[in-house]
Amino acid sequence: MTTGQLMALDLLVSALTAAAWAGAGVAAAARRTRTTAALFAVAVVASLARVWSVLALAGAGWWFVQEKVTVALPFLFTAAAVATALAGPRVLRAARRPDADPGAVRAPAVVVPLLGAGYAAAAGLVQTFLIGYPADAGTALILLAVVAGAVLVTWRATAATVPGLRTATAATAVAAVLGTALVFVPAEGTAEAGTSPAAGGHSAAHTSASGAQEPVRSVTTLRGPAEPPPGGAVRRFTLTARTATVTLSSGRKVAAWTFDGQVPGAPITATQGDLVEVRLRNADITSGVTLHWHGYDVPSGEDGVPGLTQAAVMPGEEFVYRFVAAQAGTYWYHTHEVSDLGVRMGLYGTFVVAPKGAAPSGVDLTLPVHTFAGVTVTGDHDQPLVRQVPPGTPVRLRLINTDNTPHRFTLAGTPYRLVAMDGTDLNEPGTLGRVGLRLAAGGRYDLAFTMPAGPAVLRADDRSEAVRLVPGPSGTGEGTGESAGGDTGESTTADSGAVPGPDPAAAPAPGDRTEDWPELDLTRYGAPAPTPYSARDHFDRDFTLVLDRGIALAGGRPAYAHTVNGRAFPDIPTEMVREGDLVRLTVVNRGQETHPWHLHGHRVLVLSRDGRAPTGSPLSLDTFDVRPGEVWQVAFRATNPGLWMNHCHNLSHADLGMMLHLAYEGVTSPFHGSHGE
Amino acid sequence: MRKVYAAIAGLLLAAAVFQMYLAAVGAFDKPQDDSSFALHTMNGMMIIPVLSLVATAAAAAAKAPGRQIGMTVLPLGLIIVQSLIVVVGRLFDDSTGNTTTLSLVILGLHAINGMAIIGVCEFVFRRARQLAWPKPGAHSQDAAEGRPVPAS
Repeated sequence: MTTGQLMALDLLVSALTAAAWAGAGVAAAARRTRTTAALFAVAVVASLARVWSVLALAGAGWWFVQEKVTVALPFLFTAAAVATALAGPRVLRAARRPDADPGAVRAPAVVVPLLGAGYAAAAGLVQTFLIGYPADAGTALILLAVVAGAVLVTWRATAATVPGLRTATAATAVAAVLGTALVFVPAEGTAEAGTSPAAGGHSAAHTSASGAQEPVRSVTTLRGPAEPPPGGAVRRFTLTARTATVTLSSGRKVAAWTFDGQVPGAPITATQGDLVEVRLRNADITSGVTLHWHGYDVPSGEDGVPGLTQAAVMPGEEFVYRFVAAQAGTYWYHTHEVSDLGVRMGLYGTFVVAPKGAAPSGVDLTLPVHTFAGVTVTGDHDQPLVRQVPPGTPVRLRLINTDNTPHRFTLAGTPYRLVAMDGTDLNEPGTLGRVGLRLAAGGRYDLAFTMPAGPAVLRADDRSEAVRLVPGPSGTGEGTGESAGGDTGESTTADSGAVPGPDPAAAPAPGDRTEDWPELDLTRYGAPAPTPYSARDHFDRDFTLVLDRGIALAGGRPAYAHTVNGRAFPDIPTEMVREGDLVRLTVVNRGQETHPWHLHGHRVLVLSRDGRAPTGSPLSLDTFDVRPGEVWQVAFRATNPGLWMNHCHNLSHADLGMMLHLAYEGVTSPFHGSHGE
Repeated sequence: MRKVYAAIAGLLLAAAVFQMYLAAVGAFDKPQDDSSFALHTMNGMMIIPVLSLVATAAAAAAKAPGRQIGMTVLPLGLIIVQSLIVVVGRLFDDSTGNTTTLSLVILGLHAINGMAIIGVCEFVFRRARQLAWPKPGAHSQDAAEGRPVPAS
């Protein structure tokens, strides 16, 4: 059973436990002797089953059971023991001789302990759903006070007198006050311990942390060069953000936020070693706009995080980004100001860097897949993108997931190889056939194959055809560096061949029920290769991020937030590193939703997933999907000084608190803003 | 105190009805994603549980009958069931998180249980009002004891 399934099973068992105890109490109050006895038996069995489910879950790691072992089980078993001792004998006696005294089970000594056990069991559920990881003394005391208060109220309602009621009430009130105080106090204690909260704390905290050893630099000085390296060219682009109505390939018109009136924005291309210079202008996006180079390790001042590395570019303003295209591969750019809404509305585009010295050959299609106004579009095509390709031509498909949630791709009609992930080539990728490729939000896959004699079809999510390559003469539009989104002039090609409608003769042989194809396990694909560091190395910094949901202050407002270690942005302590550190990140997903984790400015090497090291090609990623119940360990060398976002790339989760900063010692920011949520 | 209890029970009912409204807002939001239901989640996981607990405390303070107190905390229990329905339904999604027939069959129960929550809140509010403003006559004693009262 997977950890995700175990988590759900444990929740079900705990709900059954709470329902059985409380049900037994209600049945007793209603004088239903036999029902009481039956539910009592169910409650005892379910409570024991709960021990098993927690133990089973503990195998996945302490993070998954911390609040259950320290709070939920102690609550449950104290209350269950009291209930069994007090109510148990009475219930059994009444059940054996129902005629003796039909009202026996209605006694407070039966009803109150049974209901009390129900409250205690329910408190564990409330803890898991509303508070989450980690349980601490403060929240435990509050829960204890609520349970005790409920027991006292029940007792008062069922019995004529309650011995020591005043003392018990006072004790409960003290527990509640103490718990509430504890919940609010540690926030400051942590800050004093040296890990500064991110908001507004950069200058002060970093200065004190670095002391006299390191010069203090502002992130605004960490910029790209003005001149390209020797042999490189300058690639100049201008992107103007403005609202516009865009026309999709079907003719459907959609109101959008665009770069230069088109979605996606103009494709940015370069050759390795070029200097990329992009002038961003804002015409009328009132909330402001920036450019973030997703997956590209640009200098921190070029990273485009408003409120951290620059101020958002407001209408009428501009900002020039300059950086050397050092990494070849498939990347993308998007706004980071109100990024959830901004990216959804269309403020994104593709960024592809060709390797130096490689002659362009064959068909090279860049395919950003986006959900736009409720439909899946590839580039600007809401219908399949159709191309004629001569058989034998090398084809490269660059898939980019610009959405908040993963997409599953299948390629039918040809064997192929997954040659690169997140812009980095894989080592000895094998031939793939009937598999599904799950692409994380923000991630990229490059697929390569030789055009077969029949059609090749790329499907998204087993439903919509994204791309259909048909054999034919060298038609329009082949060539390298072409973007499905950028070439609005290509719509004739799409229209001529893309008329939707099944054509059974043209259907590729293996193409019909792709949903049955198993998912490719990326940790076992390709061949191992030496890596610059491994899990056996000594790590200078070791950070653990436990992802969950719970009530927390997100952006200063109480919210049912997406939390990291029980807190939401900006209350999550900043991760401090020093230049040259080898850093390990452990990311644990305790929640029910997938979290595509994305660290700015660095690619991370996957050390393990659920404790198993990759057996295939080394995986160097910038976005990795941490599914419910999964534990990922990744590592990186801190070689890109600056202030960086470290966040969930489901941008709606980031909005609700799931983001933090990773800061190099001695780097400060003059900006104190809202970081693009 | 009984009037305070009735007022809080009224708020609880209003929050539960508003929750249905927010569900429709989420359902019709385009483009639809996680944030479409942000308000629904916020209201459901914070406002309604808190109101349910406060109303229960008020019911106890107002010396309402035990059964009435139990009914007042029931919305909180049913909300946990709401969350469980989502958790269990999501278990049967496919690998990319898209729903399957089975997951939809389970997730659809979210609406049925939601109606049950509104029903309970409505019942609680009606009884709380009867406690606060008892109808003159013979029925008031029944109402105080939580027995059914014929509509008048």
